[in-house]
Amino acid sequence: MERMLARARRQLVVLALALLPAAPGHAVIPGIQGPSFSLRAGATYIPTPDGDSLRIWAFGAAAAGTPLQYPGPTLIVEQGATVTITLTNNLPEPTSIVFPGQGAVTTSGGAPGLLTAEAAPSGGTVTYSFVARQPGTYLYQSGSHPELQIEMGLVGALIVRPTGFDANVPAQRTAYGHPDTAYDHEYLFLLSEMDPRIHDLVDFGHANLVDNPSAFPVLWFINGRNGIDTLSPAGAPWLPAQPYDALARTRPGEKVLLRFVGAGRDPHPFHPHGNHSRLVARDARLLGTGPGTGADLAVDDFTFTILPGATYDAIFTWTGRKLGWDIYGDPSDPAFAHDCTDAVDNQTGAATPDDLDDATAEYCPDHGKPLRVTLPGFQDVAFGGWWSGSAFLGHFGNLPPGEGGLNLNGGLFFMWHSHNEKELTNNDIFPGGMLTFVIIEPPGTAIP
Amino acid sequence: MATNRLLLAALATAALLGAPAASWSAAFVQCPGDTDGDAVIDDPGAPELAGRDVQCQHLTGGDGFIRMGDGRELYVFGFSDVTGLPQEQVLAAGIFRTNFPAPTIRTREGQELYLTLTNVGTHQRPDLFDPHTVHYHGFPNASAIFDGLPESAIAINQGASFTYYYQNIEPGTYMYHCHVEATEHMQMGMLGNLYVEPLQNRTGYGGDPDTVAELEGGPPSAPLGYVYNDGDGSTGYDVELAVQLAGFDHDFHDASENVQPLPFAAMVDTYPMLNGRGYPDTVTPGPLPKLPESRSSDPISPQRLGATVSVTQGQRLLLRLSNLGVVRHYTLTALGLPMRVVGHGARLLRGAGQSAGANVFVDTSAVTLGGGESADVLIDTSGVAPGTYFLYTTNLNYLSNDQQDFGGMMTEIVVQ
Ligand SMILES: [Cu+2]
Repeated sequence: MERMLARARRQLVVLALALLPAAPGHAVIPGIQGPSFSLRAGATYIPTPDGDSLRIWAFGAAAAGTPLQYPGPTLIVEQGATVTITLTNNLPEPTSIVFPGQGAVTTSGGAPGLLTAEAAPSGGTVTYSFVARQPGTYLYQSGSHPELQIEMGLVGALIVRPTGFDANVPAQRTAYGHPDTAYDHEYLFLLSEMDPRIHDLVDFGHANLVDNPSAFPVLWFINGRNGIDTLSPAGAPWLPAQPYDALARTRPGEKVLLRFVGAGRDPHPFHPHGNHSRLVARDARLLGTGPGTGADLAVDDFTFTILPGATYDAIFTWTGRKLGWDIYGDPSDPAFAHDCTDAVDNQTGAATPDDLDDATAEYCPDHGKPLRVTLPGFQDVAFGGWWSGSAFLGHFGNLPPGEGGLNLNGGLFFMWHSHNEKELTNNDIFPGGMLTFVIIEPPGTAIP
Repeated sequence: MATNRLLLAALATAALLGAPAASWSAAFVQCPGDTDGDAVIDDPGAPELAGRDVQCQHLTGGDGFIRMGDGRELYVFGFSDVTGLPQEQVLAAGIFRTNFPAPTIRTREGQELYLTLTNVGTHQRPDLFDPHTVHYHGFPNASAIFDGLPESAIAINQGASFTYYYQNIEPGTYMYHCHVEATEHMQMGMLGNLYVEPLQNRTGYGGDPDTVAELEGGPPSAPLGYVYNDGDGSTGYDVELAVQLAGFDHDFHDASENVQPLPFAAMVDTYPMLNGRGYPDTVTPGPLPKLPESRSSDPISPQRLGATVSVTQGQRLLLRLSNLGVVRHYTLTALGLPMRVVGHGARLLRGAGQSAGANVFVDTSAVTLGGGESADVLIDTSGVAPGTYFLYTTNLNYLSNDQQDFGGMMTEIVVQ
């Protein structure tokens, strides 16, 4: 029965490969569109996987019925736009927003504060305005009592689309208006951490007792969620104040734009398994020598330290190139039948071969090469829940009852996580914290 | 003491046989051209090796003890190298053989690595049935099956073997570690150096045969090796030292040894180390003294890898730095020596992903590495006065072996 099911699934995948040569869909970072935003700040609770319910302060859209959320709504604007953000403060102390990387921010209303104009507690408002001159990935955060308010959750991401951006036109789907920053899918990785003792003090009305130098975080977040809540769907109803997920998906050969935001107080070395990524921008500025050069100073790396207050853009691509074996299995076996055709350069479309199959991005020189080793038998291994049972992309193998089951398409799952691995815990419980996955889905899989 | 070990092996075997989650079988090496299962190629002329550059290595995953700079012995998990040992002897010989750091994996561009991992079990903790893996950290275009992530593939149980296959195509400084219950198994010590030497070592550059690296039979006037395929010799070096940063929290290790709840949240580095030892052990060249056989069965030492180096004035020293600590970032300086970062994350620091642009080497006196980061640092000692120089963390509160000051993450580089 198990075998029949596996065969049926294999055939379905083969069918899918045959029917869907063109890859449908592109992941887009969810958020709210500008240039005018109306936000509020207030207090709410989030559940954490260790069973706690944590008092946080958070931003949310001011529209009636919209929950506060951690992180705040991702604000999306176009380059050159005059951005206006009105903030209403429902917190017990003054608050504000600062926009690192934006010049000439003007304010109206509110009261003067240390870093910027502040909205008074219990319903005060303030308005900020600036021209989004440069595209890229930015942070926004509280500028009032920031040593407490940022810990409490008053952070968010701001994305400025380059002039001429069009998500539906591949050549115009770029992060910085240059082809070096073109992508197929984009994902946000906003990294932060919390010390629940601080949140409990605030919850009990003792914010004055918080001792910042002794802060000792034991909870780590990506996009406001602890692992493995990071994998729950965006907008999951059981995480009402944490609407953003952190699961990345792509198909072979596609470009994944990773927008990293250091939104907490500590540095985090973020390690995307699967392949190197190319760091093309830092703090919303292209890593290039000058105008028009593109990202000619970009470097590839396997771990990126995300510093607090800094942002980074990297591009990840996976093809399985030069593995030395056929990642799609033995093509002479009918269950794994596939061919490898390379007439064009997949990136440019020019009639010059690039060693990659024109539709699936399979690395043709490895086509038909066997998997070099024999894998151990069932009794000798422990099985991962995201293991398909097969080493081959798009395939399922037999698994003992109760094993696997979380891998829907026979994709390859790679963990993307903090490599200060203490941070893979939720308040003393492993696994969790700053971890998520990318799925390399078989060619033709619909995304999102 | 040999009988003691045999008894342990018998007990462990019985425990394994009785365990519902694991079944006992023998170590199983897969290595083309190896006719007797010891992971050594005895038949280089085997047809299956034609036209190929193949390397085999056999590691065990298990437990044992090591000794810290202040004399405290810590319970560890780890790897040991049993390449050359008949596979039928490995499960017994692997008991308490753990090394820290793990045996260095050194390979070269174009080489296919068959890496067998045999899980010999945790004999101090017979209640555990932990599988292990190898995560080749940074391997480009990885497959899930050989990535060593137990959640998305398979991990090898006690008493059995898994052979990983890696075709090494990108030179540079990587690292490896077990990824099972990563925070725990990495804190417990399953960490090691791994690097890939470039093709340029064999070809030289600019069509000049005199630039073939000495490592690959080049003339004494050539560099010992190159870090990357730089095309111009700019990453050539005469002496190399791979240095891996890590830190242990002795409370965690003691809790593990004593079957107590593991303190993940409270984890701090009480023993910051370079290549598995704190100063002044770091200046001991090569292996530290053996431990009693009841604590470590390694015939040489559970801490074999040195962390110090001596160069002659004018030579270029390569430091292959990597951090596999699980708690924090560290900054290293080499006071008085010029540090040039030529590579990071197993890539030449050259713009546009080393394919096109100019070198973006960084001349500096401090290099910061988070967990999972690596950097290739060249130190040109031309014009450097002979003497003893310190390589140490500028996170100065980590210059200790727990309560013992003037220790920790520090070593010496001698210029003669
Ligand atoms: Cu392990």
